Amino acid sequence: MQATIDKRENIDVNPLVTYLTLGLGILAFAVAALILLGWLPLGERVDILRSNKNWIEYAVIILSLIYGIAALRTFSGLSQREKAGLAWARWLTFITIFIGLALILSVIIPTYIKLLSIPAPSEGVNITELRVADSGLLLMFIASIGIVYQLSMNADLLRFVGKLPAIRIRYSLILFLLGFLIATPAGLLWVSQFPNATSNIRTPEAIRLLPGLLLFVLPLFAYLSVRHGEEESDHLRRAISLPPHKFLQTQLATSPSAGALIGFLAIFMAFTMATDLFLRPTSIASILTNVSSKGVIAIGVTILMISGEFDLSVGSILGVVAMTFMAAMTVGDPIFGLIMSPLPAAFYAIFIGALLGFFNGFILVTTRIPSFIVTLGTMLLFRSFVLVGIAGGRILRYSDHHDALPITVLSQWFFVVLALIGLAILAYTAYRVLPTLWQRVIHNWSVRADNGDFGTASTLVSGVIAVSVSVILALAGLWLVSITLFHMGGETIQVGFFDIVNGRWDGSMLLGGEGFSFEVPRDANFRMAIVWWFILVLFFHVILTSTSYGNSVFAVGGNEGAARAQGINVNFVKVFNFVLVATLTGIAAIYETTRNPGVDPLKGDGWELQVIAMTVIGGALLSGGYGSIIGSLLGALIVGMVQTGLVLSGAPSRAFAGVVGAIIIIAVILNTAVRGRQGN
Amino acid sequence: MVERNSTALVEMVDIHKYFGSVQALRGVDFHVEAGEIVGLLGDNGAGKSTLIKVLTGYHIPTKGQIYFEGNAVEINSPHNARELGIETVYQDLALVPLMSIARNFWLGQEPTYNIGPFKLLDKKRMAETTLSALRDVGIHIRDAEEEVGTMSGGERQSIAIGRAVYFGKKLLILDEPTSALSVGETQKVLDYTHAAKDKGMGVIFITHNISQVHEVADRFTVIQRGRKLGDFRKEDVSEVEVARMITAGEVPERLRLFDPEAEGAD
Repeated sequence: MQATIDKRENIDVNPLVTYLTLGLGILAFAVAALILLGWLPLGERVDILRSNKNWIEYAVIILSLIYGIAALRTFSGLSQREKAGLAWARWLTFITIFIGLALILSVIIPTYIKLLSIPAPSEGVNITELRVADSGLLLMFIASIGIVYQLSMNADLLRFVGKLPAIRIRYSLILFLLGFLIATPAGLLWVSQFPNATSNIRTPEAIRLLPGLLLFVLPLFAYLSVRHGEEESDHLRRAISLPPHKFLQTQLATSPSAGALIGFLAIFMAFTMATDLFLRPTSIASILTNVSSKGVIAIGVTILMISGEFDLSVGSILGVVAMTFMAAMTVGDPIFGLIMSPLPAAFYAIFIGALLGFFNGFILVTTRIPSFIVTLGTMLLFRSFVLVGIAGGRILRYSDHHDALPITVLSQWFFVVLALIGLAILAYTAYRVLPTLWQRVIHNWSVRADNGDFGTASTLVSGVIAVSVSVILALAGLWLVSITLFHMGGETIQVGFFDIVNGRWDGSMLLGGEGFSFEVPRDANFRMAIVWWFILVLFFHVILTSTSYGNSVFAVGGNEGAARAQGINVNFVKVFNFVLVATLTGIAAIYETTRNPGVDPLKGDGWELQVIAMTVIGGALLSGGYGSIIGSLLGALIVGMVQTGLVLSGAPSRAFAGVVGAIIIIAVILNTAVRGRQGN
Repeated sequence: MVERNSTALVEMVDIHKYFGSVQALRGVDFHVEAGEIVGLLGDNGAGKSTLIKVLTGYHIPTKGQIYFEGNAVEINSPHNARELGIETVYQDLALVPLMSIARNFWLGQEPTYNIGPFKLLDKKRMAETTLSALRDVGIHIRDAEEEVGTMSGGERQSIAIGRAVYFGKKLLILDEPTSALSVGETQKVLDYTHAAKDKGMGVIFITHNISQVHEVADRFTVIQRGRKLGDFRKEDVSEVEVARMITAGEVPERLRLFDPEAEGAD
């Protein structure tokens, strides 16, 4: 990479734009200073002491400092007519537009959640005024979305600078200004209708609208008045010279989970802004706990969907496994009537589940009936096993047959071995990752002079990344060493079997030495299943992206004929994936049963569609050949956040299914738009 | 009759294939030599795909014998055919559009390295080898991580051909490779076909349009209604004559001597 940028090439810059960047930089520093001095409080204040800052304020201080430095750098670049200044300007304007949009949304989103949560206006509300205000806000919202859409789709907009801007943007601008004119009074009107409607919803701060709109509109014009020349497609040049939307688009298009990531961040921010109850350990714990079992199934369903099939029977398989597990521990397993201790019972039940998955796959490849039909049939069939097995609408409860929950005795060496395995994995990761990262730093440093300040900046960025990854790895290593040392001299430990699988996570479940334990808030319901879920996600992510099996899964779903022509055993892949889904469903069933040791005949009913929803939101194509495990994780988190967030923000929780439905459609549209090519 | 060399790469002798009462192939002889491009021509339904499917193991012949490199072989499955070194490039079945070039290139035989019991893909080697292997046959791509779906039909065919060459296949079968391509792209695919020939591979080029194959083929085999009309060296026939053979089934008078069926009829 020997890229150099000719810094002295003359460029055409409107002086107004140059001074605009200077103004933005000064503004950013001013904002940082104001927050630091306590004159500009943000977020929910615990107390009124100006010296106490909450995390939002710290984040904003750091971000505005970075932004200010970037803006000043842009100013110097533009005033010296450097070519690199153009790249800076392009990024700066893009980021500014984004911040502006975020500010606008931070007013609009809580407002609409409020609208959802208060269907019948309280007394003293003028309905007509309310409707006028509603439509004004809606119009502005649509216009903002239109502009962002144009920004990402219309490359010409960013190329014609100083000349005629592309015509389409004008319509958006007109629409936007119209919306703005109606919306500002409408928004104020709207706010006045709800002085203090519900206690846990923040009053919309209409005051944020104005700076938001300014930041949004001004850079748009700035964009239009900076001309840029032709650049070659060298990697480094590309990084700084591609227009931001192009750069983001190419980056996003390479990752199936990009849409899900955007959605995740947007929904996370929306709920954080909407209610103060959202970003708390209690709520985060309840989200994670609620979706961890479904998330585990979603891993399998994603892999299956990538190979071009899907499974409607997971809910019923979950029921069968849960019933088998519980029955084997209490009344005797449904087939042989054996009574087992918990661990063999769990393996036995998961094995039964895997057999059911094999049955699905076997029917599919022998008869070539579409998987929708096959699994629709087995969904009903497997459900009837549970309905018959647990006759009479009873609930199979562990406590009806045993006095106490099962206890497992773990040798201290168990933990030592576990920690040593962890250390080995860690060491290997460090061995693979760190040299590359540091080499990149050294490389960036060596070509720094050729690339001017941009070179210095990229050296700094890569340096920060390398240092933080090294520090994180070192800390994790220390923690594992401390666990090893702690348990080497320790004794055997008695834990509840159910607690290992899916116990509640308090301070005592942290297995580290003294120095590494931290307090988990008492009311936060973190559970072990969350840990297992993340481990499974990582494991299957590696399987899918970095093994030949993963490669053949993609090939089977993407073009079955081509896969077969290259000698891949398509039937094996499909059957194996069905077994995999069923096994993961079995694991989820064990979680669910240990969390609440009782099985009713309808356990897992309706899960199949929720899991498919998570997978689709996560970016997997229903037609196969495309998707990611990380995407399924994000999809599960999105569904969980919506479920919990709606309740917390006071919206009718019955709207949950509807909101998820809307998100699915938006997600698919987003995924298709971001990829912007072959939908097949 | 064209002289037959006993060292032919593939020789199919007296192949019959019946589907119930439908006689798709009625005693066809066919051979390809190493370093030779054979145009397999015939109208739709003439039996040329059936013949190729027999060769690639999708169909088992009702009667007849196949020799590969002089040895009698039974090709019972596509897997069999692959093992022998027969690679087929279908128009739409060549590559997986949603996967990267490198992953397509190595599909089914990915290089791996071991970590304990796990085998992980050697992605760096996959990308580098793909670029260099394709460069060897004259295909220049920018980035092996690019998705195949972003490429044109001709580029996809080319990559599939490059892949077959790299993995040392002996016989390359191209099924209507250029029928949906633009003129420029067709030319490129033909060039790569030539590159494959120069590496010593035998190439069968299936088409119903003589103009697509006349430039590169050394020999034409024309099939009509399940029978072979004959083998013709390129220098012996004109494009128009072959076209007439495909459509009308008429062999020009001066070539009849070389036609085995015509001889049998006399």
